[in-house]
Order: sequence, then structure tokens, then C-alpha cells
Amino acid sequence: MTESRPMVDLPSPNRLKVQRDRPFGLIALILFQCFCTAFFVYDVTRDLDEGLTSLFHMLPELAATVGLVIGVVFEGRSLVALLRRQARMEKGLGVASGALNDVMEGYFRQWALTPAEQDVATFTIKGCSIADIAQLRGSAEGTVKTHLNAIYRKAGVQGRSQLVSILIEDLMGAPLIGKEKPAP
Amino acid sequence: MQKIRVWDPLVRLFHWSLVAAFIANDFLTKPGRETHRLVGYTVAGLISVRLIWGLVGTQHARFADFLPSPRAALGQLRDMATGRRHVHVGHSPLGALMIYNLLLTMAGLAASGYAMTTVAFFGVEWMEELHEALVVWAEMSIVLHVLAVVVESRRLGINLPKSMVTGYKTVK
Repeated sequence: MTESRPMVDLPSPNRLKVQRDRPFGLIALILFQCFCTAFFVYDVTRDLDEGLTSLFHMLPELAATVGLVIGVVFEGRSLVALLRRQARMEKGLGVASGALNDVMEGYFRQWALTPAEQDVATFTIKGCSIADIAQLRGSAEGTVKTHLNAIYRKAGVQGRSQLVSILIEDLMGAPLIGKEKPAP
Repeated sequence: MQKIRVWDPLVRLFHWSLVAAFIANDFLTKPGRETHRLVGYTVAGLISVRLIWGLVGTQHARFADFLPSPRAALGQLRDMATGRRHVHVGHSPLGALMIYNLLLTMAGLAASGYAMTTVAFFGVEWMEELHEALVVWAEMSIVLHVLAVVVESRRLGINLPKSMVTGYKTVK
């Protein structure tokens, strides 16, 4: 797998779409809620300092703080998911990126790939060479090879072509090995 | 391994002087006392020097080198989410946003602190509350700044605090 294909960074429709849904709204909401949380925590500590520890006063504030923290965690998770999705699409995955992306995401979750492994797997599926991936990710080629070995091991495949064919099978909606698969 | 000279002595001196001044006024000196004021004036002086240095200083000290860019900041968040490792020689895009935030906050602290000593605002309650609110904002920002430096140092494999002491980033 050492064929080298130049990375072409053309403005594809995907690219335009990615640029349109930038998650600035979500980021602003997360920052705002973090600020609210910090405010409540600060307020609670100040109340404690002043000896204002009545249950009726503290309970709603604590509940609000916990609620905010839970909200921030959930939003943070969806932001990370969104960023990874965008990272996958930014270099122009090609025509099938919508459906392919869904299938890939499903498998990556099932195989429990780490974020870095997911990124490397995406580039590999796109046909990037190890040298390309190392350059794109700013890491050493040895690191990329380590990621690839982990990906193939977790996916239970021998190499890139088998990895790709798993996805192709799903995209074509024709299970070849009699394995139950969700309809596309 | 590559050793890149990034921060000139003035930037480093500014950074650690500001750290010392903020710690001094937040924890050590008493508000309203002479030392608290003197330290506040020092902060104002530091900020002024840094603003000028941001126009005429060395490459990575100049504001033109780290203009606020939401697009680049988003790119850095994406790198963090996917474990990509793109090293920024000077300030990273997210780091730049924090620097502007801290510069503005510190300038606001110095200004509101000074205002309280003037005849027009002496004893005016909202000015005191503004000063206190800015302290809380600064504390929150500093906590976030330190956390981010630790996270980025680990992600990139570069000792960022050390580079603010020696002036060099050691990039693999």
C-alpha cells in the first residue's frame, strides 16, 4: 500500500456544505452555559462563605448547576462528533460521502476505534498513502502504521482492500456473507 | 527534533510579570491600599508596552502574527477532536483568542481600579462591582488558559510552559 496519490483539495459540494454548517452557534451556547455554571458555582461558594446554607436556597441552585453541567457535557459530545464529521468531509470524500459517512461512523463505533484511529481509517478508505496520512495528521509514519494495525485488528480484516469492501458491501445493500445488516 | 526560537525576552518578561502582578493583587495586597494601586499601575504599564510591542515587536509577538480567526480556531478544535497534530510555531488560533481576552480583561481591571481612585467614581458602587466581576472573569480565564496549555502540551508533545521560560519550542 505505498502508491502515492496527490491530495487534491478541490472545492467540492461537500466542502461548501461543511463551510455552511460551522458550529459557531453550538460553541457559543457551550461557552455561555460554561459561564452560567461557573457563575452558579461562584455564587454557591459565596453563599457558603456568608453562612447562607438554607436548604431551600441551596437546593435549586445546586440542581441548576447539575443541569447545566449535564447540558454542557451533552453539547460537548455533539460538538466533538460534529467536528469529527467535518474533519472527515473537509478534504472532499467524494460523491457518496453522505451515505458512506453514516456507514463508516457506524462501523467505527462498533469497532471502538479511537478518534485518531477513526481519522486514519477515513484517510485510508479514501486511498491516501501512509506518507500522505502522516503529513495530513502531522504525525510520524510509524505512528500511522501503528494506528492502521490497530484498525485492521479491531475490524478483523487483513488490509485496506478488505476494509473498503466491508463498506462497499453495506453501501450496495447486498450482504454477501449471509450476515444480517441494516437496510441502507 | 528541532529547536525554534519563538518568544523574545520582552514577551516572556511581560507574561511572567503579569502573572506575578495578578497573583499579588488577587491574593496578597489589600484592595484600596497603596501597594494594590502600585501593582495596578504596573499592570497598566505592562499592557501598554505589550500593545506597542504587538505592533513593532519580533515576528511572533506582533498582533499581525495572531489575528483573531474563528476559522482557524475551528480548525484547531477539529485537530483536537481527531488527534491530528499540527504545530503552530507562534500563538495557536485558540491561544490567540485567550490572549486578546486576557489583555482586554487586565486592561479593564486596571482601568476600573484606577477609576475608583478618581473623584468622579470614588465610592461608586457599580464601578466596584465591575472591578470585582472582572476579577472573577480573569480567574476563570486563567484557569481555562492553564488547563488548555496542559492539554495542548500533551497533545502536541511540546512543553509549552517551558517555551515561555526559555523562548524556544522543541518540535519533534
